[in-house]
Amino acid sequence: MNTGQIISGAGHLALIGWALFGGAFQSEPLPFQVTEVTAISAEEFAALSNAPNNPEAVANVDTPEPPAEGEGVPEVSATEDVTPDTSQPEASETPPADSVPEPQEPPAPLPEAEVSDAPPVLTPPQEDVTALVPEISPRPQPRPAPRVAPEPVAPPEPDVEIDEVEQQETTPDAEAAETVEEDTRETAREEATTEIVTEAEENDLASAAPTRSPRPRTRPEAPAPTPAAEAAEDAREPSEPETDENAVNNALAEALGQGQPATGGTDQGAPSGPPMTAGEKDALRVAVQNCWNVGSLSSEALRTTVVVGVTMSEDSRPVVSSIEMLSASGGSGSAAKQAFEAARRAIIRCGSNGFNLPKEKYDHWRDIEMTFNPERMRIK
Amino acid sequence: MMRYVMTLLAALMLWTHPAAAQNGPLRLELTEGVIEPLPFAVPEFVSDDSAGAELGRRIAEVVAADLTGTGLFREIPQDAFISRVTSFSSPVQFADWKAINAQALVTGAVTMDSSGKLVVRFRLYDVFAGQELGDGLQLVGTQDGWRRIAHKVADQVYSRITGEAPYFDSRVVFVSESGPKDQRAKRLAIMDYDGANVSYLTGSSSIVLAPRFSPNGDRILYTSYESGFPRIYVMDVGSAQRRALEQQEGSMSFAPRFAPDGRTVVYSMTRGGNTDLYSMDINSGAGTRLTTAPSIETAPSFSPDGSRIVFESDRSGNQQLYVMPAGGGEAQRISFGQGRYGTPVWSPRGDLIAFTKQSKGRFHIGVMRVDGSEERLLTASFLEEGPTWSPNGRVIMFTRETQGVQGSASLYSVDITGRNLREVPTGTGASDPSWSPLQD
Repeated sequence: MNTGQIISGAGHLALIGWALFGGAFQSEPLPFQVTEVTAISAEEFAALSNAPNNPEAVANVDTPEPPAEGEGVPEVSATEDVTPDTSQPEASETPPADSVPEPQEPPAPLPEAEVSDAPPVLTPPQEDVTALVPEISPRPQPRPAPRVAPEPVAPPEPDVEIDEVEQQETTPDAEAAETVEEDTRETAREEATTEIVTEAEENDLASAAPTRSPRPRTRPEAPAPTPAAEAAEDAREPSEPETDENAVNNALAEALGQGQPATGGTDQGAPSGPPMTAGEKDALRVAVQNCWNVGSLSSEALRTTVVVGVTMSEDSRPVVSSIEMLSASGGSGSAAKQAFEAARRAIIRCGSNGFNLPKEKYDHWRDIEMTFNPERMRIK
Repeated sequence: MMRYVMTLLAALMLWTHPAAAQNGPLRLELTEGVIEPLPFAVPEFVSDDSAGAELGRRIAEVVAADLTGTGLFREIPQDAFISRVTSFSSPVQFADWKAINAQALVTGAVTMDSSGKLVVRFRLYDVFAGQELGDGLQLVGTQDGWRRIAHKVADQVYSRITGEAPYFDSRVVFVSESGPKDQRAKRLAIMDYDGANVSYLTGSSSIVLAPRFSPNGDRILYTSYESGFPRIYVMDVGSAQRRALEQQEGSMSFAPRFAPDGRTVVYSMTRGGNTDLYSMDINSGAGTRLTTAPSIETAPSFSPDGSRIVFESDRSGNQQLYVMPAGGGEAQRISFGQGRYGTPVWSPRGDLIAFTKQSKGRFHIGVMRVDGSEERLLTASFLEEGPTWSPNGRVIMFTRETQGVQGSASLYSVDITGRNLREVPTGTGASDPSWSPLQD
């Protein structure tokens, strides 16, 4: 290998190294300034230049050109700054193109931009005023409707009839003219609102004053320790603290579902298949809620929470005979009965065609416990 | 340290092994239902003869009207029925009723017994559960009383589904008004709660005001200007016999109301330019003064247990509501909102007080808790007043008067939630209603 080759090799290596590590391929853009430029035609520029009230043109034209033409320039400038502007373009009448190439003219808009930058500095104090606006703006009030639902149904078209079953409007089909179908009129579910609107509230625009006062809450009483709990505490006290090994073993056992039986369930084994996602659970909950009509419940039943157990068949329909009230709280026995019947109707009605549940997760939704808590519906 | 590491590891395993975490049933909590009228179906009550069939049709209509009138139910029209009920004892085709979304079904039969009495049987079904709600029931009455029987059927249906006490089989006494505003004739009238069967108890020769039912519905207290001055009378509803209550010389008595025991009356009396509350034993005429303030105290109403009285007074400078012990004593103000409050009436349930409120040029009927909290205005119009409670404390009836020379008074009812505001048909102008208790 001769010296030339070595030198050439070293030179190439150095060049490649510099290209790789010396910043030649850095993607960071170099700092640069962006200026907005507007392309205009020569006629537009002439029109701009001829505009009598353009202050920028006055400033530029004053100094250079008119003195060169001679004669009565001082006199003209003595009258007013504006007049020379209009005369100047006319003086250079030959080609209007001469004035276009002047490099000073395009930057003329820039001073305007500087002027427009100033106002934002002055405005901030007004933002405080606008922040107060929402507090005095009228509260939007829902339209009165006989149906109260969490998700208001969009108002139907004027020609849509109210019916029990939603149906799509049929349109005549030219190709299938031979098959005569009965025209089905389009129907939609009844319009709903999110809360009850009384007549007093209906016309009460922007009334910020409260029309009802909150009922004073009773202070929650501390639960009295039961003898059983006290006994359990006493029994626990003398026991020795857990050792690290025990704690680790217990944690592992809990994690693997061993050691303690499942509470409240009928199935002791772990369900197979992937677990229910939050979205799937929400979909089921919303589906039942849509049929959970509390409108005909007594005020006492509306204070009653019931837990209802139901077994589902594999076609995602509820087994009607399996629906049972597991517990109730907040009301008398008859109120619990009314609340349970409303819950049962909801499950059966909306489950009559099967809920939208993933079949591969049947083990997870075979047995369902639904807690029907109408607390939030009482205030609607 | 090791312990924390292992615990963390265990938690990680638990997180990555969710199947183990969900042992037992899937648990959901539902907090947002819907509020809408419950769809129900009432086929014509079946009968063997044509007269009975006509009654069966009309009874079914009244039952449906009662339930629909609550705003809690929606009748499915008979045209939509798939099944026809031809026999009271035949099994119900639940699938047919489910198909039209009838959630409740009422079937019935009408027959005449050997003594000419009307016998009505009915059953109530929960269609989607496919079972009967409660037991079948049989009611017997006169043929003329078929509307009361229909109301009783509706009461049973209403109670079994909602859990509320019934109120359809009740009556309302009111002041019937006729003629122009400056020469209006007023007389006492009584009707079914739904405006049917109106009959008049007094003539229109003198002005009558503020009729009030006794706790068992057999008597009515009212104020009459028959003598030129307001005086309180008590009338027996059955015989329409009446008598004036004891009154002191030079005084004016008005705004009477029965105590829950039916023996005592509380009322306002004006003497020497001052109006106070008094109570009186209705038989002996022995009276007791309950208030001694120099202001005007009027419109008293007992709590259902008879222990307290709510009334209106302007002792604070304008008209407000106060509660005091039934025997008199220190009164506690309960209304504190803007405007003027009057004509308070204690709910039969004891939990609410209905009132009239005048504020910003409009009148309202409203309810509040007995301590004055949770005030809620239910209506709003040019002029309305005089609320009265349904026997179950779920509905309020009141007077609404329209504006202008041609303005007239009529009766309206509204649910305590503020829903289902509707006019009560009375035929003529009507004011000052008083709802009776449920009839026996």
